[in-house]
Amino acid sequence: MNTVIDAHNISKVYNPETIPVYAVNNVHLHLQKGEFTALVGPSGSGKTTLLNLIGGLDKPDEGKIEINGTDITRLSSNQLINFRLHNIGFVFQSFNLVPVLTAKENVEFIMQLQGIPKKEREARLKNLFRQIRLEDKVDCRPAELSGGQQQRVAVARALASKPQFVLADEPTANLDSKSASNLLDIMAELNKEENMTFIFSTHDQRVIERARRVVTLVDGRITTDTALVDVSHSVASVSSPPLIT
Amino acid sequence: MILIMAWRNIWRNKARSLIILSSVMIGLFTGIFVLALYRGMIDGRIRVVIEDEVSHLQLHHPEFKKDYEARYVIGNSEELIKSVSGLRQVSAMAPRDIAQGMLSTGTGSNGVEIRGVIPEKEVAVSRLDKKIIEGNYFSSEKRNELLIGKKLFDKMKLKLHNKVVLTFSDKDNNVTSGAFRIAGVFRSANTALDERIVFVRSGELAGLLNIAGSYHELAILLYRNEDVAGVQQLLRAKYAGLSVENWKEISPETELTISTMNQFSLIIIAIIMLALAFGIVNTMLMAILERTHETGMMVALGMNKLRLFTLVLSETIFLTLAGTPAGLLLAWGTTLYISKHGIDTASYAGEVMGSFGYSSVIYPEFPADQLIAVMGIVAATAILSAIFPAVKALRLQPVEALRK
Repeated sequence: MNTVIDAHNISKVYNPETIPVYAVNNVHLHLQKGEFTALVGPSGSGKTTLLNLIGGLDKPDEGKIEINGTDITRLSSNQLINFRLHNIGFVFQSFNLVPVLTAKENVEFIMQLQGIPKKEREARLKNLFRQIRLEDKVDCRPAELSGGQQQRVAVARALASKPQFVLADEPTANLDSKSASNLLDIMAELNKEENMTFIFSTHDQRVIERARRVVTLVDGRITTDTALVDVSHSVASVSSPPLIT
Repeated sequence: MILIMAWRNIWRNKARSLIILSSVMIGLFTGIFVLALYRGMIDGRIRVVIEDEVSHLQLHHPEFKKDYEARYVIGNSEELIKSVSGLRQVSAMAPRDIAQGMLSTGTGSNGVEIRGVIPEKEVAVSRLDKKIIEGNYFSSEKRNELLIGKKLFDKMKLKLHNKVVLTFSDKDNNVTSGAFRIAGVFRSANTALDERIVFVRSGELAGLLNIAGSYHELAILLYRNEDVAGVQQLLRAKYAGLSVENWKEISPETELTISTMNQFSLIIIAIIMLALAFGIVNTMLMAILERTHETGMMVALGMNKLRLFTLVLSETIFLTLAGTPAGLLLAWGTTLYISKHGIDTASYAGEVMGSFGYSSVIYPEFPADQLIAVMGIVAATAILSAIFPAVKALRLQPVEALRK
């Protein structure tokens, strides 16, 4: 299997000069292509910070992160923007669709940034909206969609650039049970059919139950890293020793 | 897509955008209307210079205008007049005799320029008969009639039919004088000239100057302003021994005023737009700050700095340009309406305009040829206004912006 994410010994410290707070502390994490991984832990455990570091939105103070062999900690901010565009899909807790664009335009926007020709964009859009089951909502603005529908569009947007993996920060936090279930079905289906790698932070037990690997963070350290079911699609590896307090 | 986003973004806060659009509209209207007023004043001044004062072209003996000595006359005047009359571009022509002298009455005297004119020819060139406000134009029956400007008439406390004495030097530099009776009082658009010039018949003045049958000046009025350079070139080539000047050369201060006013009026628009730029910057800054989270998200997804800058720049340009058509339309409509009736400044500014040689009634003219310059100023305003908000947006760190 191919390694998609290879994070070595990464740490992120806030207030290093005064009272250092380790948001992420000496974390090792390896993700293979096609994994469906949940990052769990209490609030303040460093889940979002770890996702930001892996997603190239923030830089670690120590360690290095390789995405498909590229050390993203060495990239400039401009290079990082371009790297994110072509390699990483993002799904945010609060959907974060551009309110002035329609559902279709929100998804197409990313492909336009990538410079994909119109014909190919159209074909991909058709397929993506079929996959998220929102073919009849393509021309709706985000305000005209429910939370669940918006998050499905956000998933389509994340996949539009054909990324190496999708990072989802608490994707079901603002959804009702039915919408959350629908979203998880779609994500699981994409993972299975297209071998798309997903890593999401969550508190949601329903998400944890659907994950095939669960990494638990406490105080910025990985305490457990468990493959739950069906390891044919993922390889579980404990990369950081459990923190024993 | 960035342009679509930019256009839709400006309508997210309609009230705020409409205020800026209205400001741009009013600012542009004000600027263009000021420009139209200046243009109207300039055109009025050009009309006064050409139709009332100097005509399109003047011919003199090359030495005449140095000291206005009577001996420097145009040779072969009659033949010259005949030849110039034959030019198809020439509308009218008036020969004149000119003397610098003194106008005296029983109670006082004043320095004047005495213009000896052929009444029927002068009418065609300077419409002198139309400017008579008291008394009459030259009549065919009476001799030694004089037309005097209203300002000098009042200053010297004269009355119609009063006798005045004109004293000046003749061809041989002998002091000579003649008595004339005031037949009429004229008022031109240029009150300064009204205080300095008197008109008598050419034959009577030429007799006193001892240059009978000769003229000092030939004023030529053309059908079109555009023909001035061509006719001037033609006459210069044909009459190398004469001085052939166009109205800009005769009245260089008018030419200077025109060029200065053009620049000045564009500066006024630039100042108005600069003031507007602060409002636009403020609006765009508010918009950027309100959308910090959204901007961070777009950068996170892969929108690079150039595209982000383009987005902010496009929004600012749309915001600025959206008010432009309305401003132009308002300025055009207002100018068109007022140009038919004119603005009479005499009611509140008295003779101020006239004392500078400008007509007191201003007919604003839409400055169509300066619209490109105006649009350039508007575009520059938009670009300048975009820079600060764009820099603010570019400095956003996605991870921090997403937390907000």
